[in-house]
Amino acid sequence: MPSSNPLPPKENALFKRILRCYEQKQYKNGLKFAKQILSNPKYTEHGETLAMKGLTLNCLGRKEEAYEYVRRGLRNDLKSHVCWHVYGLLQRSDKKYDEAIKCYRNALKWEKDNIQILRDLSLLQIQMRDLEGYRDTRYQLLMLRPTQRASWIGYAMSFHLLEEYKNALNILETFLEQQKGNNFDYEHSELLLYQNLIIQESGDLKEALKHLDSTQDQIVDKLTLKENLGDLFLKLKQFEKAAECYEELIQRNPENTIYYNKLLQAKRLENGQEIVNFYVNYSEKYPRAMPPRRLPLNYATGGEFRNLVDKYMRKALSKGVPPLFVDLRSLYSDKTKIEIIESLLLHYVEVLKKTGKYHELEVNNGPKEPASALLWVYYYLAQHYDYLKQTEKALSYIDAAIEHTPTLIELFVVKGRIYKHAGDPQEAYKWLDEAQALDTADRYINSKCAKYMLRADYIKEAEDTCGKFTREGVSAMENLNEMQCMWFQTECALAYQRLGKYGDSLKKCHEIDRHFSEIIEDQFDFHTYCMRKMTLRSYVGLLRLEDVLRGHPFYFKAAKCAIEVYLHLFDEPLKDESAEQELNTENLAPSELKKLRNKQRKARRKAEQESAQQREAQVKKDQHHKSRQQGDVEADTPQLDELIPDKLARADDPLEQAIKFLQPLQTLAKDRIETHLMAFELYYRKKRGLLMLQSLKRAYQVDPKNPKLHSCLIRFYQFIQENKGSWDPSVEQVITQETKVYFDSKDASRLNKEFLENNSNSLGAVYEGAKVMYQLDNKRQSDAISLATNLDNKYDVNIEICTEILNSLRTGEFGSCDAQLEDFTEKCKVTFPYTAAFKPPSPKVEPLNSSEANHVQEQDSN
Amino acid sequence: MNIRCAKPEDLMNMQHCNLLCLPENYQMKYYFYHGLSWPQLSYVAEDEKGNIVGYVLAKMEEDQEDLKHGHITSLAVKRSHRRLGLAQKLMDQASEAMVECFDAKYVSLHVRKSNRAALNLYKNALRFETVEIEPKYYADGEDAYSMRRDLSEFSRKAKPKAEYKNE
Repeated sequence: MPSSNPLPPKENALFKRILRCYEQKQYKNGLKFAKQILSNPKYTEHGETLAMKGLTLNCLGRKEEAYEYVRRGLRNDLKSHVCWHVYGLLQRSDKKYDEAIKCYRNALKWEKDNIQILRDLSLLQIQMRDLEGYRDTRYQLLMLRPTQRASWIGYAMSFHLLEEYKNALNILETFLEQQKGNNFDYEHSELLLYQNLIIQESGDLKEALKHLDSTQDQIVDKLTLKENLGDLFLKLKQFEKAAECYEELIQRNPENTIYYNKLLQAKRLENGQEIVNFYVNYSEKYPRAMPPRRLPLNYATGGEFRNLVDKYMRKALSKGVPPLFVDLRSLYSDKTKIEIIESLLLHYVEVLKKTGKYHELEVNNGPKEPASALLWVYYYLAQHYDYLKQTEKALSYIDAAIEHTPTLIELFVVKGRIYKHAGDPQEAYKWLDEAQALDTADRYINSKCAKYMLRADYIKEAEDTCGKFTREGVSAMENLNEMQCMWFQTECALAYQRLGKYGDSLKKCHEIDRHFSEIIEDQFDFHTYCMRKMTLRSYVGLLRLEDVLRGHPFYFKAAKCAIEVYLHLFDEPLKDESAEQELNTENLAPSELKKLRNKQRKARRKAEQESAQQREAQVKKDQHHKSRQQGDVEADTPQLDELIPDKLARADDPLEQAIKFLQPLQTLAKDRIETHLMAFELYYRKKRGLLMLQSLKRAYQVDPKNPKLHSCLIRFYQFIQENKGSWDPSVEQVITQETKVYFDSKDASRLNKEFLENNSNSLGAVYEGAKVMYQLDNKRQSDAISLATNLDNKYDVNIEICTEILNSLRTGEFGSCDAQLEDFTEKCKVTFPYTAAFKPPSPKVEPLNSSEANHVQEQDSN
Repeated sequence: MNIRCAKPEDLMNMQHCNLLCLPENYQMKYYFYHGLSWPQLSYVAEDEKGNIVGYVLAKMEEDQEDLKHGHITSLAVKRSHRRLGLAQKLMDQASEAMVECFDAKYVSLHVRKSNRAALNLYKNALRFETVEIEPKYYADGEDAYSMRRDLSEFSRKAKPKAEYKNE
C-alpha cells in the first residue's frame, strides 16, 4: 500500500537517497536529504521522512530524538508500511523484540508481501523462539521466493524445530529432488547430514540407516558419517557392523574414549577381565594411544590392577608426566585402589633412594631410572596425601620435591594448592606467587596466581597480575570484562562479598549476567548465516544451546553470589550515608562542621565529575572499538546502563532483583538443591506461602535428607502457624494437604527432636537441628551449643562446616556465648591446624609486592 | 583424557581454557563463528569430568586466489596437562578434517617469536615450516612467525579408504 502522502518526483528521489544512505551507513548525508524534504513547507510533517530521520538519528546514538521522530512520523501516516517497519527496526535495535514483532506485523498489514519485512520478522521470531509464527512467516517467504534455497531450508527447519518431522522431511525431500544433478559438495553433504539428523530425531532409526547408507558417497564428512553409522548399527543391534565402524573410528582417532566404550558395547563385553584383555590388546595395536592403557585401570582389580598401575605409573614417572595424579585421580573412588597405589609409590621412594630403580628385583637389569623419577614420585605423593586431606604428609613430600629440584614451577603450584585445601588462602597465594615469578611469560600460571590472590581477597593485586596479559592502554578489569573472562569476575564477586563490598560484588555478578545476555544476542547473525553456509546441524545445536545457556556453571556461581548478597542487603540494608556521617560529626564544633561539610561537598562533586569523564571516555573508546570491528551489523546497539556499585547495593527491591537471578536457575539448575533453598529464602522474606511450599517440595525431591532443608521446613511450619488464619481457605487447604508428608501432625519441637535423633552422626545435620532447637526455645541455649560444637563421632567433619558453625556462634545465632566460642575455636584448631579461620585473628599482612619485582625481571629478560 | 570434535556446547569452555592459557582472547561470537562455519575443524581434549584441558580452534581461509588451506586460529593445552602429547594429537585430528571436508592442501598458523616451546612443537613434532616473519603481528608489537604444514600425507591417507568404500 502506498503512503497516504506520496511525494512528488523530486522529493521522492531525495527520499530514496535517504534509504540508500541508511543502508550504506552514511547517516550524516541521510539527515541532509531528510532536511531538504522536511524544509519544504508542504512536507514538514511527511510521515515516512520523519520516520527515516528518526531511524538515522538512532544510528548516530541519539535514541531519544529517534523515538520522537519515528513516533511522530508514524502518527502522521499510520497506514504506511515504511513507518511501521522503521518503528519495528528502532525497537529491535533497542532489544524490545516483542514490540518490534508487533510493528512488523502492522507493517505487513499494509504490505503483506514485502520480502524485507517478512525476513526481518522471521529473524525476530526465531530469536524469540516463536516457532509457530516462524513457520508461518517461512511459508510466506517460500511462496514468494520458491527458487531460493534458503526459502526451502528455512521452512523445513521451522517444522523440525516444532518436532513435526514428517513435514520437515517432506519439504527437504522435495527440495533435494529439484537439486538432482548438481555437484556434490560440502554444502550438499551438510544438508544430507541434517536430513539424517531429522530422521533420527523422528525415531525411525531404520530409515535413518537406510538414508545414510544410500547417500554415503555424497557425504564428505566421513567422521560424522561413521559415527552416525556406528551409533545406528549399535541401536539397531547390528553388532558386527557397529564393531567395524568403531574399529575404523579408533584407527582414525585412538584418543577417543567414547569409541572404545561403544566398541565394548558392540562386542558385548561386560565382564571385567574380558574388558581388561580387550584394552591390553588395543594398547599393543596403538602403543602411542592413551585410552587403551588408562581405561583398563578402571576395570582391573586386585593383583592385576597392581601390575597394570605399576607399569602405567613407572612409565609416566620415568618420562616425567606432571598430570599423572590428575589422570589417576578418578580411581580414588575405590579405597583398595588407593591403598595399592600408595603402597607402590612408597616402595618406589624407598628403592629409588637406595638403588635408582623402582623394584629391588630389577637392580641388575638395565640402566638406572633418571634422577628425576624420585622427584616425580614425591610430587605424586604430595598430591595423593593432599587428596586424602593428610596435610602434614602432603607438605613433607612437596618439600622433599622442592629440595630435590628447587626451580620446578609445578611444585610450587601443588604446595599452594595444599595450603588452599587446608584452609589457608594467604599462604596458598604466597606459593602461587613464587610459581608465577619463575615464568612470567606463562599465562596459565599467571591466571592461577590471580585466582589465589582473589581467594585471599587481594583484588587489586589480582587485577594487576592479570594486567600483565591484557591489552595495553585499557584497564585490566575493563579488558577482562570485554573478553567475557567470567572466572575472574566470579572470583572477584566472591571476594567482594567476603569483604562486605556488596555493591562491587553485585556489579561483577551483573557483568556476568550481561555476558550471558550478550551470548544469547550473538545468535542473531547466525540465523541467516547458517542457512547460507548450510551448517544446519551445528545451527540447531546452537539454538538448543542458547535455550539452556544460563544452565552453565558460570551462571550458577554468579547468580548464587548475587542472590546471597541481595538477601543480605534485604536483611541488613546499608545505612544511609548522611546518617552515618551525622554520627561521626556529633562532637565537632559548628565551624569545624561547616568546613567538613564544604570539604565533603567538594570531594563529592569532584568524584562525580571524574566518573562522568570516565564514562564519556569509555563511550568514546567503545565506539572507537566498535567501528574497528568489522562485520558488526549491530553498530546501533543500545548503550547499557552503567553498573554503579553504590546504586546496586541500595536497590529499592533487593528481593525482586534476586528473583531475576533465581528464575533461570529454577528451570536450568533444578537438580541443584541450592536453587530451591535460595528460592525458599527469597519467598520466606516475601511471605509467599505457596511459593515457599513449591520451593520446599522441589528441594525435597532433589535431596530429602539435606540438613538445610530441615531448618527451612521448620521455619515454614512456624510460618504456617503464625499466618494460617489470614489465608484464603483454599490456600490453607493446599498447604495443609501438601505438608502432611513433612509434618505428619507433629509439632516443631517434636520434628526437630526426631531429626536430631535420626541424624546424630552428621555434624551438618546436628548443627541445623541445634540452631532450630535454640530458635524454638532460647532457654535451651547451652544444650543447643554443646550439640553444635561436638565434633565426636561425626562422619562429615570438615573445614567448611566448622567455619560455618564458628561464624554462627560469632554472629549470635545461638545468643551470647563467648566461652563456648573460644572452646570451639580451640577444638577446630586442633583438628585443622593449618586453617586460618581457626587461628587467632592476626593483622592482615600486606601482599608481597611481586608485581614490581617481576616487571624488573621481565625487562631484564627482554 | 578424551579427544573429540568440538560441539557448540564446548565453545564456551574453550573460551574459558583460552582465557586461562593464552594472551590472545576472543569474544564468544568468534568461537560461534568458527563452530558454525567449519564444525568439523575444531577439537577438544577433556578430562574424565568433562573439563576442557586443551583445544584447537581452526578455520578455512577462504580467499580464492591462494591454494585451499586451513588456519589454526588458536591452540592451547593447560599447563597442568602438558607432556601428554595432546597438542599434537589435537592438531592431527583438525588437519585430517581439513583435508577430508575442505580439500585443504596445507595448514597455516602464527606463533610468537618468543614462544620457544610452541615453536619447537610446530617445527619438530608437527613439521611446520616457517614461511616468513610478520613484523608486529601481535597487539603488543611482537613479531610472528608465519608457519605452514603441508597436508598431502593426509590426503594420501584419506584416498585408499574412499576407494575401499566404493568397491
